[in-house]
Amino acid sequence: MDFSLLLGLGRFVLATTLLLLLTIPTAFVVIQLELKVIALMQLRLGPNRVGPRGLFQSTIHGFKVLAKEDTVPDQADRATFTLAPWMVYMAAAMSMLVIPFAPGFVAADFNIGVVYFFAILGLSVVGLLVAGWSSYNKYSLLGGLRSAAQMVSYEIPLTLSVVGVVLLTGSLSFSQIIAHQLAHGWNVWWQLLGFPIFFIASTAEINRAPFDLVEADSEIVAGPFTEYSGMRFGFFFFAEYVALFIMSAILVTLFFGGYLAPWPFPAQLGGFIGILYGLLWFFAKTYFFIFVAIWMRTTLPRIRVDQLMGVAWKVLLPLSLINLFLTAIAVVAFKL
Amino acid sequence: MTAVDPETRIPDPIDLDRGEEARLRAAAGLAPPSAAAGSEYAGFELVGVPDRPLQTEREREMYTLEEGEMLLNMGPQHPSTHGVLRLVVKIRGEMVTDLDPVFGYLHRGIEKLCENATYTTVLTYVDPMDYLASMHNEHAPAIAFEKLFGIQAPRRAEYIRALVVELNRVFSHGLMIGFLALDMGGLTPILYSFINRDDVVELLAAISGQRMLFNFFRVGGVNWDVNDEFLSRLGTWHGTVMKSIGDNEKLITENEIFKGRTRGMGILSGKQAIAYGVTGPNLRASGVPFDVRKAHPYSIYDELEFDVITQQSGDVYARYLQRIDEIKQSLHLIDQIMDKMPHGPVQAQVPGIIRPKPGRAYGAVESPRGLYSVYAISDGGPTPYRFRMRDPSFISLQVMPMLMPGHLIADTMAIMASLDPVMGGVDK
Repeated sequence: MDFSLLLGLGRFVLATTLLLLLTIPTAFVVIQLELKVIALMQLRLGPNRVGPRGLFQSTIHGFKVLAKEDTVPDQADRATFTLAPWMVYMAAAMSMLVIPFAPGFVAADFNIGVVYFFAILGLSVVGLLVAGWSSYNKYSLLGGLRSAAQMVSYEIPLTLSVVGVVLLTGSLSFSQIIAHQLAHGWNVWWQLLGFPIFFIASTAEINRAPFDLVEADSEIVAGPFTEYSGMRFGFFFFAEYVALFIMSAILVTLFFGGYLAPWPFPAQLGGFIGILYGLLWFFAKTYFFIFVAIWMRTTLPRIRVDQLMGVAWKVLLPLSLINLFLTAIAVVAFKL
Repeated sequence: MTAVDPETRIPDPIDLDRGEEARLRAAAGLAPPSAAAGSEYAGFELVGVPDRPLQTEREREMYTLEEGEMLLNMGPQHPSTHGVLRLVVKIRGEMVTDLDPVFGYLHRGIEKLCENATYTTVLTYVDPMDYLASMHNEHAPAIAFEKLFGIQAPRRAEYIRALVVELNRVFSHGLMIGFLALDMGGLTPILYSFINRDDVVELLAAISGQRMLFNFFRVGGVNWDVNDEFLSRLGTWHGTVMKSIGDNEKLITENEIFKGRTRGMGILSGKQAIAYGVTGPNLRASGVPFDVRKAHPYSIYDELEFDVITQQSGDVYARYLQRIDEIKQSLHLIDQIMDKMPHGPVQAQVPGIIRPKPGRAYGAVESPRGLYSVYAISDGGPTPYRFRMRDPSFISLQVMPMLMPGHLIADTMAIMASLDPVMGGVDK
């Protein structure tokens, strides 16, 4: 009997369960942050009634969707209609598996972590398309087709900009990428073109403003989510905010040193203190980028669907190829 | 589980509704409900098609689908149709090929109500028509009835009227800016617009006592003279209004996404605008310098100095800039009105029930949406024999089917918002 295999399996199951449980409070925190930050930027008070200083507003929203009636349209395809929220939610939750939160604090440190991450996150488009197709609603259909077009297009510049980082660090493992950044400084200084490409493409990939065409409420009501109610809608809603958290976390890991402090890591900090210190920096950086995403949502109007495709194929794709080319030359020339 | 007796079971309300619909249709001689169960896409292609026989050539053209086309029904319940406007859009992919605006969901029969009211009470019924320009709504009938009755409002009353309608114009144009941004997905400008609107509304509430349906005009004058609270609020507001509108404008005017979505979008040429009878800022944004205040001066506008602003391009962006420029002109007018306002009474002597001699009168004002006019016929009785209102947003919406084809679904809302319709006025 190979006990190491059993141990590994047990660790995997435990980590997956913990991560799934972590997604719920994460979504609550991000939603609360969005409610409050948007309110302050719009000169409103925002939630201030539920709990101390309105802190439980998003939690109560979460429990509210549990209590709501769960309706399925008469002529919807019941099986796929029910399955779609799970596909979207699990895609977001499972891609959390490879995020290194702190030194040694990662659910599964694959050697192909980068490939795994983008493969799993890309699955959410299937869920959105299925939701749009099975709802028997024209708005849902348009939203589902928009999501397919948008997310598939933006995956290309997104992945190409990550290839630059992979070339630079020589590894597909997130912990190796962080280890490289500990030795050579944050990747953002070596990827001055790659970072903005990744930032824009990732915003589009998770359907955040100004690329929130999939659920553009002033055009197609709520896109693929139009016919959903109750907890099924809640899963879509949670998945969206979990995806925002994950994208910020990956952005931080790839370009801003992950859990590393901006100055050299104190060598004597090991064990529990080191994990806490890493978590502190990881969450600080991640929530900064979440804040930037919310900031963009309050400031910018929505881009149009043909302009969206134009940005992906005419601007970001050539730029990411140039970035890849320059990085490759630099890696070879300077033996980085 | 206990078996439910079919006799005493409470019926499903949806089933009841369906039965009722089938019964009503049979009574009216219409075809049975079209969503015939069974087929896989039953009813999908019929969404938006009127459930009566198509009547005109235009309707047949609109509701005949070619291969690859689909009808999309937007409204009357839709997040961004400004009330209860319904648009049936014929799309090919995301491209709009044809469009049919359907009105009438907010029809309250205001013209008929007014014909049953005495001349003095008519002014209370017209308020909720174009609910963002209540002052203008009252102004036109007041002018028409004064002509009919042959009286003249005192000079001070005319100045106060001009003052409140210009204040009303400022907040109405300010809101249009916010709604245009909202329909393009910008969340914040509408909040800033409402903060600006609230300042003006508080100001008008100080003089009229109400925040939305002011009920301020009277035949032969206005309800109240300006008071201390109004004047002190006006001074504070005047000092900050340009800054707060500028703050809002900063989010929009030079924004690359906004410009990319509005420039060259929904171009209405001056010729087309005149042919359709479009007036107001929408007409001036197409380069036609027609303003009722200049062309047919009413009230005291011939004594005031102001420019008729025009834009050249006639697209959504021009219509947006036109509103901003007109706000500046209105503030300029408010300055002059406050400077020149004479002393005196604010209400002429008018009997409780007016009985004008038989005759006809026409009163027209420049509302924030264009030429708003009233045509009243008196038969000598205490109520108008006929009371007809021309609402400018009704006319503006007629150009939508012409502007829209060739643009995307996302642009329907942008173009619609740039025409700035108010459904309360369209449906009357």
